[in-house]
Amino acid sequence: MKILVVEDEKDLRETIVSFLEEEGYLCEQAGGLELGTEKVNLYEYDCLLVDIGLPDGNGLNLVTALKKHHPETGIIIISAKNSLDDKISGLDLGADDYLTKPFHLPELNSRIKSLLRRRKFDGKKEITFDNIRIIPENREAYINNELLALTKKEFDLLVFFVTNPQRVLTKESIAEHLWGDFADTSDSFDFVYSHIKNLRRKLLEKSGTNYFQNVYGTGYTFISD
Amino acid sequence: MISKQMKLQNKINIRFLIVTFLVFTLAGAAFYIALGKVIDRNIGEILESRRDNVKMFLRQHAVSDSMLVSPDHSITIKPIFSQKKYRKFSDTLLYDEDEKEYVRYRTMTFATSVNGKYYEIAITQSLLESEDLMAVIFYFMVGLFVLVLLALFFLNRWLSASVWKPFFNSLTLLKSFKIGKTRNVQFDKTDIYEFDQLNRTLNNMIQKIQADFINLKEFTENASHEMQTPLTIIQSKLEMALQDKALSTERYHQIRIAYESASRLSKLNEALLLLSKIENQQFIEETDTDLCELTKQRLEFIEELIELKKVKVTVNFHVPVVIKINPYLAEILINNLLNNALKHNLEGGQIVISASDKKITFSNTGTPLTIAPEKLFQRFVKQNAGSESTGLGLAIVSEICKNYKLSLQYDYQNGFHNITLIYIT
Repeated sequence: MKILVVEDEKDLRETIVSFLEEEGYLCEQAGGLELGTEKVNLYEYDCLLVDIGLPDGNGLNLVTALKKHHPETGIIIISAKNSLDDKISGLDLGADDYLTKPFHLPELNSRIKSLLRRRKFDGKKEITFDNIRIIPENREAYINNELLALTKKEFDLLVFFVTNPQRVLTKESIAEHLWGDFADTSDSFDFVYSHIKNLRRKLLEKSGTNYFQNVYGTGYTFISD
Repeated sequence: MISKQMKLQNKINIRFLIVTFLVFTLAGAAFYIALGKVIDRNIGEILESRRDNVKMFLRQHAVSDSMLVSPDHSITIKPIFSQKKYRKFSDTLLYDEDEKEYVRYRTMTFATSVNGKYYEIAITQSLLESEDLMAVIFYFMVGLFVLVLLALFFLNRWLSASVWKPFFNSLTLLKSFKIGKTRNVQFDKTDIYEFDQLNRTLNNMIQKIQADFINLKEFTENASHEMQTPLTIIQSKLEMALQDKALSTERYHQIRIAYESASRLSKLNEALLLLSKIENQQFIEETDTDLCELTKQRLEFIEELIELKKVKVTVNFHVPVVIKINPYLAEILINNLLNNALKHNLEGGQIVISASDKKITFSNTGTPLTIAPEKLFQRFVKQNAGSESTGLGLAIVSEICKNYKLSLQYDYQNGFHNITLIYIT
């Protein structure tokens, strides 16, 4: 999967690129609108990640350009928080999703995977990991082909972990994935703790495997034994 | 002291009418007096001339010793013995057969000698015509005044339609001006000097205001952009560092603390920026929002958190509470209130949300406040001083309420903290 990252802040851009490359994506980068537009015209990408606030122009122009020439490319826009106008304009222009800064890298990963699932009709509308099979469209999760009884948030939790395997996921990033802007600190962490306990138990019952590894004080890692 | 407001034109009109009335009255009175004097003089002259005629008649005709009365009773001639000469005037009211009303007459009585003989002569002159004349003049003045009133009335209508039009146009334009919403506001040139001045000044002022507003908006948005990026980098790098299994426990702990602080910092930054944006009224879009519906939605969103704390939620919504508010801020408002109600609740406690006409109350069980109630909605005031929350949740609620006609009240009764929002229209 080829991803183009258009972000003017060098450190941030390189952090994102190295993260995505670790996840197995092929990445290209551009530091401004001009270079971004050039690349978009020359190559085809599966996904575009673009910051709206670029020094040499509005990132939304890139969205319009891409929609015109490569409508099958998925687009995620990055904007500053509380800037509703940008968010709405971006989505109106055809962006698939938006992320606000600051964001967690696993969150970015989740969004990209979700986007690619939606856009690429190569049959892979499922997420599989070890014995676990998830069909996001129907909000169904199976372990050893047995359907799991999960609550809404437990399902979202499972998807988040399965799409970010082998990574230490901090409780902050988990909480924010579940409650977005409105993740409060202490209560949501308690929830995370309690529901991972539930989820772990449900998976353990059906498969005998403990998928959640507790990282003390920090969060959890989803691994197969 | 409440001053009474009045339309400008009415203020002008009333003063004009008072002055006109005074002028008319004074002029009328003066005219009346002057005319009276002229008439008096006129009558006097007529009487004098008639006296001369009578004297001439006496000189030319012999007169008996008894009293002579003219056929129309207006002249009486009486021979007298006294040799005094005098003249006096008197007015009487006599009934006139023809006019069928009482008419005033002036009588000049004088004693004079003709051919050596003394006579007392009384000549009476009708004042009817003079009085009629005065009456005509009076009614004429009144009529004139009424005409002036009518003219004033139509003049006003015309003035409002034409001369005052530029002013009223400017006023309408000003009323409809909403900073940030109205794009191009132009106050026209006009051929009336004062209004043209007004319009020019308004144009300049509006331009400056709009420029300032855009600057401010850009500033807060740029500040946000500038701060969020380094924060994202910090968070991301630390998150990546936390993946390293080879770190010592101590090193890991350090990185974790740094990560948590960065997280708190970014939440704080967001909250402060939100507050400043709300204060600067940078959220322009407004829609009719039912707070009850929104509360139900948000409750659903956090239902697992509520379950976790074993809190019982009761909702008493009898009527919708619809207010005009920015939809994003409405969500934040309700969310912060609900988070607050949950966070400061007891395990196994209660949350009760009631709504009635234009009023909604969020109540939660909890230990009494350790801070003064007036400070509850101030920034950085926290119930638990050491907690990780930003201390800005209720400050944001307070700021949103200020901007959208919601009054905010707090009280603590029977173990319940109650926060009430009342929509004041």
